[in-house]
Amino acid sequence: MIFNEEQSMLKDTARAFIEENAPVDNLRKLRAAPEGPAYDLELWQQLVELGIPAVALPEEYGGLGFGFMGLAAVLGETGRNLVATPLVSSVALAASLIKLVGTEEQKSRWLPALASGELTATVAVQEGRHYNPKSIETKWANGALSGSKTMVMDAQEAGLVLVIAKNASGALCVLALNSLEDVEQERYMLMDGRKFSDLHFRDLAGVEELGEGEQVASVEQALDIATIALAAEMIGGAESLLERTVYHLNEREQFDVKLATFQALQHRCAEMYCQLELARSAVLSAFTRLDQGRNIAKAASQAKALANECYQHISNEAVQMHGGMGITDELDIGLYLKRSRVCNQLFGDANFHRKRYALQIGI
Amino acid sequence: MSDLETFRAETRAWLEAHCPESQRQPILKREQIWGGRNRVFPSADAQAWFEAMADRGWTAPSWPKEYGGGGLSIEEAKVLQQEMARLKCRPPLYEIGIWMFGPALLAYGNEAQKQEHIPKIVKGEIRWAQGYSEPGAGSDLASLKTKAEDMGDHFLVNGTKIWTTNAHKADWIFCLVRTDPSAPKQQGISFLLIDMASEGVSVSPIELISGESEFCQTFFDNVKVPKENLVGELNKGWDVAKELLKHERTLMSSMESMSEKEDFSLLELAQQYLSLNSEGTIEDGEIRSRIAQLLMEMEAFEQLNERMFYQYKAKQVDQRLGMLLKHIGTKQLQRKDELILEVLGNKALSWTAPTANQQEHIVTRNWAFNKSHTIAGGTSEIQLNIIAKRALGMAS
Ligand SMILES: Cc1cc2nc3c(=O)[nH]c(=O)nc-3n(C[C@H](O)[C@H](O)[C@H](O)COP(=O)(O)OP(=O)(O)OC[C@H]3O[C@@H](n4cnc5c(N)ncnc54)[C@H](O)[C@@H]3O)c2cc1C
Repeated sequence: MIFNEEQSMLKDTARAFIEENAPVDNLRKLRAAPEGPAYDLELWQQLVELGIPAVALPEEYGGLGFGFMGLAAVLGETGRNLVATPLVSSVALAASLIKLVGTEEQKSRWLPALASGELTATVAVQEGRHYNPKSIETKWANGALSGSKTMVMDAQEAGLVLVIAKNASGALCVLALNSLEDVEQERYMLMDGRKFSDLHFRDLAGVEELGEGEQVASVEQALDIATIALAAEMIGGAESLLERTVYHLNEREQFDVKLATFQALQHRCAEMYCQLELARSAVLSAFTRLDQGRNIAKAASQAKALANECYQHISNEAVQMHGGMGITDELDIGLYLKRSRVCNQLFGDANFHRKRYALQIGI
Repeated sequence: MSDLETFRAETRAWLEAHCPESQRQPILKREQIWGGRNRVFPSADAQAWFEAMADRGWTAPSWPKEYGGGGLSIEEAKVLQQEMARLKCRPPLYEIGIWMFGPALLAYGNEAQKQEHIPKIVKGEIRWAQGYSEPGAGSDLASLKTKAEDMGDHFLVNGTKIWTTNAHKADWIFCLVRTDPSAPKQQGISFLLIDMASEGVSVSPIELISGESEFCQTFFDNVKVPKENLVGELNKGWDVAKELLKHERTLMSSMESMSEKEDFSLLELAQQYLSLNSEGTIEDGEIRSRIAQLLMEMEAFEQLNERMFYQYKAKQVDQRLGMLLKHIGTKQLQRKDELILEVLGNKALSWTAPTANQQEHIVTRNWAFNKSHTIAGGTSEIQLNIIAKRALGMAS
């Protein structure tokens, strides 16, 4: 539920590093180059040198074995400054998928490379307008892969693309592609300045299957890990927005007083803080369960649903309380606003997770 | 086994042996045991359970042993709480003395006062009331006017207190009184203990929207109070009051989880009163989604409390979080009550009609009574003021 000493140190290191090397302006540069990389490759190399991709992986695969809570600490910091990294796509999701589903041989082939930062991987999950792994239609049958994926993160940069599909009997399975050469792709930038890809597979043959046999539960668990990783990033963003807003209200004067003295604004900020700490508690609790080796299906849905609503609400309020400045591109507030909406859709919106939570508690 | 695990095993065995089956059922309001000279036990089982707990000091598990408390560490107290929850043991004692007054007296009282009052609270022998609010002093408590004049060998108290919960049943009352009318508001207030049996004390009950009349107005007409009943220093009563308020707010925020156990759970009522489809899930997607939403937030509130517990253990307390509890907890409780009313439909509308059963009547009255939670102990608006200024540092 709280960061231990190692994790706190990691958090401090990440904060100091990001404050110095990754201002929010970095995102503007990435945004100005739609054809450019999805994230700053040089910055990522520096994060690799700090050992970040190895944090949660077990030592036997070259990891540091700090647990996922350490990763949560770092994600909160990247979220605060809207730093684009493959932490969610590669470190949280792809590595977990390989660890949970892969054969021993596959794990030894890929995990050490992911831990050392030599390799990044991504996972193609989403289809259609709304995230819902249950309605995946991409098919893996008779040695051929067919179907379409959307919202794939960091695909161009990835040296390994994992595709979640359904096999002939309708169970979830995972395919591993070392290259996207034979795959039709469209790469695009979304409103948050991040790049995503659509991938189309037309009877693609010669792909390797991850793991053996049916592994539905493991696939879902890997997706849950990515879900809470993203939620941790979102909490960081919401926290930064609330701080920026309070700072602004304490500075700006109207009617000869600081805006912060108006009770209508005080109460709204106080409510935001309550919502933020509730969502943060849910996220930390999910990571704690994960590190304890417990099931996180319910916890992940709770955490993501609350993080979605929190980030969305706080970003709306932040825009409003900055007045006219709040809707200019010059201020960073709008970047957070847009990021929050993209995060909402990635790995499930509040509606999806509320329903999933309801099912988990038996109503 | 670690010490804590041994303690858990022993506690579990002891509770199994000493908590009668009947005391592991959801408790109704009239079955609650409150302290006091005139206390009554609703049943022999209830008395046995109460006495077993009081003997161990487990009515106040973490208070020092020398004053009759349980002497448990906070980890042990949490284990006890968990084990009681696991067996669904009823709380052995409901008492303002346990929840708020005791902790403040332990912090600010002198030795004689602690020796005199704490053991009686633990044993449920004395029932306490809280005399803070006045007709003219609510949220702005420091504007209180009830005065205590120094008459040499005693204080002479005159004035009136309002909303004094259960004053008509209380044996003693702790009061905030004005001892220096010329000092700035907060600095002329003292904390005084008054025996309700003193000459000049009178009480008149006030009926509430829940149909109960737990509230009273309490009048003090030339009441003589011994000097030794002053807690803390003269004119420093505000410090004691603040200490006490901390415990009151923590209590109020946990009313939510308390009432979940004592009353009826939203989840169970939903399953009982709403149409379910063949898989046993609620048919109406709209209300299902709102129930799920609230339950997610309530779970997050528990997780927030858990986080604070671990912060406390690791000595990394984030003071700001404590300021959030009262507002979040009481607001969630009221949302839950509203949803329950909706789930019961017109079954929740009866006040006394024979067409509704006991459960339905209780649910309805809880809904009405719980409106008080966002008012008592510092209103939600005051809590939000505190959060904005002290937790967020907003200018005032
Ligand atoms: C169930 C219950 C039990 C109680 N038990 C006791 C007891 O045992 N002993 C005791 O002494 N008292 C008790 N009280 C009294 C309680 O402490 C007061 O009701 C409370 O402090 C509010 O004061 P008030 O009722 O005078 O409301 P007011 O202070 O008049 O408030 C009315 C409304 O104005 C709002 N308001 C006031 N000031 C501000 C501000 N600065 N900014 C924004 N909004 C503001 C309030 O939030 C509220 O919504 C109890 C109350 C309840 C409901």
